[in-house]
Amino acid sequence: MSRDPQPQAGGPRIELREEAELVTRSLAGDRTAFGALVERYAAQARRVARAVLRDPDDADDAAQDAFLSALVKLEQYDPRRPFGPWLMRIVANAATDRRRRRSVRSAEPLDPGVVGGGPRPDTAAERSALSERLRQALAELPERRRLAVVLFDVEGYSHAEIAGMLKIPEGTVRSEVFHARRKLRTLLEDWREPS
Amino acid sequence: MKEELPFDHEPDAQLGAALREALAPQGHDAFVARVVAGFTTPRAGSWDVLAGWAGRGIAAAALLALGAGFAAGRVMQPAASIEEALLTAPADSGTAAAAVMRGDNPPDASIVFAIRP
Repeated sequence: MSRDPQPQAGGPRIELREEAELVTRSLAGDRTAFGALVERYAAQARRVARAVLRDPDDADDAAQDAFLSALVKLEQYDPRRPFGPWLMRIVANAATDRRRRRSVRSAEPLDPGVVGGGPRPDTAAERSALSERLRQALAELPERRRLAVVLFDVEGYSHAEIAGMLKIPEGTVRSEVFHARRKLRTLLEDWREPS
Repeated sequence: MKEELPFDHEPDAQLGAALREALAPQGHDAFVARVVAGFTTPRAGSWDVLAGWAGRGIAAAALLALGAGFAAGRVMQPAASIEEALLTAPADSGTAAAAVMRGDNPPDASIVFAIRP
């Protein structure tokens, strides 16, 4: 598995002051400071982009576009607020724009076995198969629902933060997470329960 | 696995871990290097845009330079010499004298004497 230097879901995040300092240095032309922010948020940005774009290369292109866009718009960032939600909003927009431009979303039909369950993912091959099924199940969800559940359950953002990122009411975020979980948990339960 | 609760405020760690693994990107260092290189050197896309403009820009600049050169040539063109005026003028003396008067430079003496009143 690739190295992920980012904070885990619900774990401690980079200090606000440290982020503000990195942004200040970036604005002064210190590209290594912005590189530190990229290093910190790269994996998260790529996961969020991949929640929108199934193709990993497309997702990486979108994440890269988002970082460059963030650098250009850096003066608009309010250093009193956490950097992550601001950046993830740009990532989500970049991924959505790319999907619209390329019409990547081909609505591939679900594998009949996705919802039907399977053996417990004890082996590496089974875990890999579960990951593929989860990706397929995610792809079946509406885009906003995919983003909401990934931002909440994977990246550990609050409902309020996600509402700000996606520009939707907080109640809608809760609803989207709830519906996404219902589908994905069913899939996971089927994997866990021996048939 | 947690129960389905519509008002669940906490992330589902198990589902989160499974999704994290499913969405795990590969090649972290290569990606970071690519992004950093992207904002220290112009991207290929930028050059494509510039190249798109270059053709039209060069054509417009050439046209402008041609026009400017033609106009400058017209302005800086020296007035016809008296000799040229006399050669092109009809052979009557009035016209020849008028050509002498129109000339910017003083006429050569031989030409003046050639004009018969």
